[in-house]
Amino acid sequence: MTDLSFLFTQFLGGLTTAMFLFLIASGLSLVFGVMRVLNFAHGSFYMLGAYLAWQAVQWLTPLLESFWLAALFAALVVAVLGGLVERLLLRHMYGKEELYQLLLTYALVLILGDAAKAIWGTQQLSVSRPPILDGAIEMFGTVLPLYNLFIMLAGVAIAVIGWLILARSSAGRLVRAAALDREMLGALGANVGALYTGMFMASSFLAGLSGALVTPIQSIVPGMDVEVIVEAFIVVVIGGLGSFWGTFWGSLIYGQVLSFGILIMPSFSLFSVFALMAVILIVRPWGLFGKPMR
Amino acid sequence: MIAQRFLSVIVAAGLLPVAAQAENIKIGFPMPLSGPASVYGVPITKGAEMAVQEINASGGILGHKVELLTRDSKASADEAVRLARELIIKNGVDFLSGTLTSAEAPAVSTIAKENKIVFVAPTAKTIQLTAPANLHPYIFRLASNTDIDGRTGASIIAGWKDVKRVATIAPDYAYGRDAVGAFVEFIRKARPDIEIVDQQWPKLGQADFTPFITAQMGKKPDAVFCDVFGGDFVTLVKQAAPLGYFKAINNRLVDGGEVGTTDAALALGKDYPYGIWSDAYDPVIWPENEPAAHKAYIDRLKAFTKQEYASGWAIMGYASILALKAGIEKAKSTKSADVAKAMLGLSFDTPIGPLTFDAKTHETAMGEFWGQMVKDDRYPFAIMKNPKYLSQGPYTQ
Repeated sequence: MTDLSFLFTQFLGGLTTAMFLFLIASGLSLVFGVMRVLNFAHGSFYMLGAYLAWQAVQWLTPLLESFWLAALFAALVVAVLGGLVERLLLRHMYGKEELYQLLLTYALVLILGDAAKAIWGTQQLSVSRPPILDGAIEMFGTVLPLYNLFIMLAGVAIAVIGWLILARSSAGRLVRAAALDREMLGALGANVGALYTGMFMASSFLAGLSGALVTPIQSIVPGMDVEVIVEAFIVVVIGGLGSFWGTFWGSLIYGQVLSFGILIMPSFSLFSVFALMAVILIVRPWGLFGKPMR
Repeated sequence: MIAQRFLSVIVAAGLLPVAAQAENIKIGFPMPLSGPASVYGVPITKGAEMAVQEINASGGILGHKVELLTRDSKASADEAVRLARELIIKNGVDFLSGTLTSAEAPAVSTIAKENKIVFVAPTAKTIQLTAPANLHPYIFRLASNTDIDGRTGASIIAGWKDVKRVATIAPDYAYGRDAVGAFVEFIRKARPDIEIVDQQWPKLGQADFTPFITAQMGKKPDAVFCDVFGGDFVTLVKQAAPLGYFKAINNRLVDGGEVGTTDAALALGKDYPYGIWSDAYDPVIWPENEPAAHKAYIDRLKAFTKQEYASGWAIMGYASILALKAGIEKAKSTKSADVAKAMLGLSFDTPIGPLTFDAKTHETAMGEFWGQMVKDDRYPFAIMKNPKYLSQGPYTQ
């Protein structure tokens, strides 16, 4: 009954899920790894990216149909907003109890959720796939929509670029140093404030971009912010809080466990991923690629 | 006879000055106005607000103006209960309506029972709401229920004679499980030759349906009963279409989750999987044989909400207020105890036809409009072809 091509289809399905999650979770992981900020509002930035992309498509449509321009616009606006949030609000929370950060970012979730509702209303919205990615290709008897393929490649690209910047560039060296000892880095003359703002903007950019990129295959609705943040957190926790590659592998594992879990026990589709998280947290509380907290 | 009429004129005339300063009739209306459920909560509330505005413009009910107290229930049973209590105790509402989900309505129903306040639930579909153990004199339900969703879906699929392999996909909570349960039970009776080859249970608010869809396609069904609704349906379609899901089943999918409304069609635009079957409380766009009352209602609704296309959900709020109005007028009293009695067997008119509260079940036996969703060049989205009103009657026997 279950031949090989069917299993391959299921594998590709899991891979699509995984790369979607990675797009969203990468920014979350970045900010936690360096800044030790658990940003609940990451899902809200993602939601804003989706709404802004929709808005830009509406504005652009009579002139030119460019989904890509809309996505870039959305990501940039969200990045600027992220920068403002870091400068004006989050900055005052560093060095204080983590509870304050949680309260602040959670307050942002509520404020941004209401703002989106006030601007765009409660109707479900959607954006059509860009024509160039409308089709599908066949691989070993399996249909793979071009847009899904694009998302997979985008996920891998972000993982590689992120890794190159973090591991190889001088900015990355500063970032890694900041993660270890923020005060010492400041004492050595590095502009830690600008570094943090930059990090937060990069994270917001990724959130906005992933929100924009999901619009062709998901509905834009109130509440999409909260829905996604839970899954993103699961992935980050599985991979190890603060580990960029960990988040990548965490996403891949999440996708495949969900995908094959559905195949084996369709009545308990969500059981498998939560079971996975529970097992990992028992065996390695710091996640697959994380380091034990000192 | 004449004397009696004369008397009533005098009474009416005598009462008028009093009625002019009469206290407002207050109706509490908790409804999800934020979060994912606001997609439905907001248009339903708009419908109720329009009904109140129209009633007040034509002199109110028994000379009383109507006041609608809307509150955001956040689709949570706890919040809805808290609001219902507050509305009764602090605001002194005379009646309750509102609540969206099958979680909120039964919870608010217990508050209505405790305080002896009539409660009209517009949309909650769970059969538990009016099950004998939970029934009390003050609860009334407008909506259809999960049994009819599943059974109507089954009767449509049973009519496709060459279908042998059927799959289901529905959200993993009471509503989806109950509707699919009813579907499976009925299709087994109607077509013993049909095999249920696959059942998928994505969660409510599922962001990625891909693995569910590929797993289902692997079982090669000929037709699908689906109860995924709202934004989730939009997401499902956008991910399933490029995978060839609808092509593989020749678009033979029946959705009992009201994706036949303009709301869902508008969101999907040209991406709508033309040819599937679905339902709606109000088809909104009704190309042939549209009742005049419906057309007038839709025109008023469009003006009231300032929207180009009206919502198919507004009717539930609108009709709930009309039900209370009819009950108050029949009782000639604004007291919940009198109105509760008057509403048993009460018939009232709505833009989609008359409804009657069954004296035993406290339900209206309201059906839904079912039909195939087709492309129409006059609209930039799918519309329901020949909407057919199917009520509970023939399917619940």
